Amino acid sequence: MAAIEKSPAPRTGAHTVIGSSIVIDGEISGDEDLVILGTVKGRIGLKESLYVEGSGVIEADIETARVEVSGQVTGNISASEKVELKADCKVTGDIRAPRILIADGAVFKGNVDMDVKGAK
Amino acid sequence: MASLDGSTIIGESILINGNLNGDEDLTVRGRVEGTVTLTKTLVVEPTGVVKAEVQVKNCVIAGAVAGNVTASESVEITKDGRMVGDISAPRVIIVDGASFRGRIDMGSFEAGEGERPALRASRPALSTRRPSAPAPARAEEKALPPRPPEPPVPAGLGGGKKKVIVRRK
Repeated sequence: MAAIEKSPAPRTGAHTVIGSSIVIDGEISGDEDLVILGTVKGRIGLKESLYVEGSGVIEADIETARVEVSGQVTGNISASEKVELKADCKVTGDIRAPRILIADGAVFKGNVDMDVKGAK
Repeated sequence: MASLDGSTIIGESILINGNLNGDEDLTVRGRVEGTVTLTKTLVVEPTGVVKAEVQVKNCVIAGAVAGNVTASESVEITKDGRMVGDISAPRVIIVDGASFRGRIDMGSFEAGEGERPALRASRPALSTRRPSAPAPARAEEKALPPRPPEPPVPAGLGGGKKKVIVRRK
């Protein structure tokens, strides 16, 4: 009998979650969505979306396709598609992306560069 | 995004290089290099690769681990698990099919030392009994078919020991 007693892994290639009590000091890279509720220092390089949730704290340079920030980010963000700063987020650093959204209530300090297409 | 708090998952395509600390369970399906320090359980799934100094409470290895693992409770290498490195934990479980190279330290046996000689003393008795054990079993097997039904055995038990009933068309 003993059917496959694996934890209910929802789908293969499911996104990665960094829990709220986790602290990572180093580099994260990958080809899938990443949700951060904890703390990451260093560098993040993804080919998909990065979600920084309310409890998330990032002290890192970020290079991804899409970024959604509800938590805190200190560092430069470079996205090939879109950066979204939600209400209640705190971001310090430069942002480079063709589309940048800043919601009412977001706190941001840094340079914005949307002229990425013609970038050298 | 329903991200369940209290558990962290490192997905298959993710590589983390550096130090990872935390107070919650961590499931690794991707790669982690550096150090991992947790106050709870580390689960390395079959697709997971951990090249790190690991310090956790419990560790379940179904993937690949290269590095030393120190656990305050237990380390388990499952049948798919591969590990190279030293293990230090009071409980270490290595199941059939697992591959492991390294040293294991389960601590000292201060409490158990008194019991050990007693255990060993009882062993010869066990081994003398053992050779005789299979003999009756074999005799029983041979004697079984003609044996008349003994004191009422539960139907399930008796049925299993009797001949197989072959249905003929």
